[in-house]
Amino acid sequence: MVMSCADPSVLEGIAWLSCYLMTGKHMAFYLSFCTVLALLTFTAPMAIIFGLLGAVGSRARLLPVRLIGRGYISIVRGVPDIVFFLFVPIALDQGFEYLRHRIMCPEVLEPVRQGNDFVVCTIAKMPLNSDPQWLHEIYGFALAVLSFALVFGAFAGNTFRGAFEAVPRNQLEAADAYGMNRTQVFWRVLLPQMWIYALPGLSNLWMILIKVTPLLFLLGVEDIVYWARELGSAKTSAFSFPHPDWRLWYFMVLLLFYLGLTKISEIVFARLMERYNLGQATLGGNQLVGQLGR
Amino acid sequence: MIQQSSSQPVISLRSIHKSYDDLEVLRGVDVRACEGDVISLIGSSGSGKSTLLRCINMLEICQHGEIRFCGETVRWSEDGPDRVPADKAQVVRMRTQLSMVFQSFNLWAHMSVLKNVIEAPVTVLKLKRGEAIDEAMALLEKVGIADKANVYPAQLSGGQQQRAAIARALAMRPRALLFDEPTSALDPELEQEVVKVIRQLAGEGRTMILVTHDMKLARDVSNHVVFLNQGIIEEEGPPETVFGSPKTERLQKFLRASVTA
Repeated sequence: MVMSCADPSVLEGIAWLSCYLMTGKHMAFYLSFCTVLALLTFTAPMAIIFGLLGAVGSRARLLPVRLIGRGYISIVRGVPDIVFFLFVPIALDQGFEYLRHRIMCPEVLEPVRQGNDFVVCTIAKMPLNSDPQWLHEIYGFALAVLSFALVFGAFAGNTFRGAFEAVPRNQLEAADAYGMNRTQVFWRVLLPQMWIYALPGLSNLWMILIKVTPLLFLLGVEDIVYWARELGSAKTSAFSFPHPDWRLWYFMVLLLFYLGLTKISEIVFARLMERYNLGQATLGGNQLVGQLGR
Repeated sequence: MIQQSSSQPVISLRSIHKSYDDLEVLRGVDVRACEGDVISLIGSSGSGKSTLLRCINMLEICQHGEIRFCGETVRWSEDGPDRVPADKAQVVRMRTQLSMVFQSFNLWAHMSVLKNVIEAPVTVLKLKRGEAIDEAMALLEKVGIADKANVYPAQLSGGQQQRAAIARALAMRPRALLFDEPTSALDPELEQEVVKVIRQLAGEGRTMILVTHDMKLARDVSNHVVFLNQGIIEEEGPPETVFGSPKTERLQKFLRASVTA
């Protein structure tokens, strides 16, 4: 059956609905689910790296490194996330543009701050005004990922720091006694044993990360919440597909999406926990031993 | 004066002093272990015997005194209470040749028994993995737990864990073995399987320093017994003399207490 969506006003029932669900705006809605998933995929590993750096830094022997590590963790943890999400992208954006401005057009002598305006020369813009729209969107998205990763990295850093401290001393002592240097002790013993203590905290963080993704709209990224409100609100006959207020249904879809996502995450974390518990003389580890049989 | 073999000592400690803040744990201790010597350190809790053992491979830093290992003297950053080893490479070299067996085994919990045994040979001695595995399996065979090679330490009994730890120590092909109360965390019946392995090692002529509460073990395996009391050597000598005719009152009292315990 060939269906034509050219004139929606003559369509009825299923045909109308399927045409309705295929509009360009709905495509953008579907795509925004991918945006959320992409945000999670990029943010999580970056946050783990920031967290590990913060945790290792905060335990470093060198005082300046220790101060940077501790400062990062406590400053970011101490500021409301929303403030940080708003602050970081602007700060990064203006920081980049200022640096480019200084390097690329040194002949411009006027200050970049003119009254309320932040003015840099045209070629210092990030991205350039002449760049295609998708580049602007990618840039905005990258800034969003970076600020999410910075915030969650600080929380992860605190979790990691606690986990590093929780690894039994005798495990490290044995490594020392067999001639491992600090780097080898870290990679071979401390890091692999730390995960078991970090995982519960990390799983909490991951769940919170999933649940704060709607904050993307604060950063100008059109995410699923934005589209659900936009598409769900009542449409008059001025639109090609008029309908009453359907926001309830749209939000229900979001609800199911988030529930599904968190459920899958729980399963994955349970598996990870099982893997890292293997061999540990903990309650969790003992249960596993019981299953395997002595 | 002391009947010991006369070759160059593998380990020689001179005038070792160690204190934690105000508490003096070791107050000038001298110990010499030559090739093939098995020296037992005995004494009540807090006498400093474990600390002395840990000073040898520098898990603890002694503030005064000289440590020589195979003719090589440990170099220090400075003289005085804040000293640390000056040469990290030297510390690593010494530690790889001085394998330690701990009271609570300290096997790496996230690795199987086999991985525990090959870990240091591969990462520190840079042995080839295959070679390390062959050697590890032979050692696990020797201590009688080859069938447990792929099991995690937490799945083993205490006696099996300690035997795995001994295999791990032997895998380093050490010049000397340091035992820190290897049987103290074990039930009497599990103790015996570990004692058997230690006896076997002593019989092979390995150089060993053994901190123990087990007087029977000390009497059986060692050729020299050192009785530490409050950070100094109260009495020492061959086991027959130390256990047979103790001279000092403190040792007599200590031995009576150990028999009734």
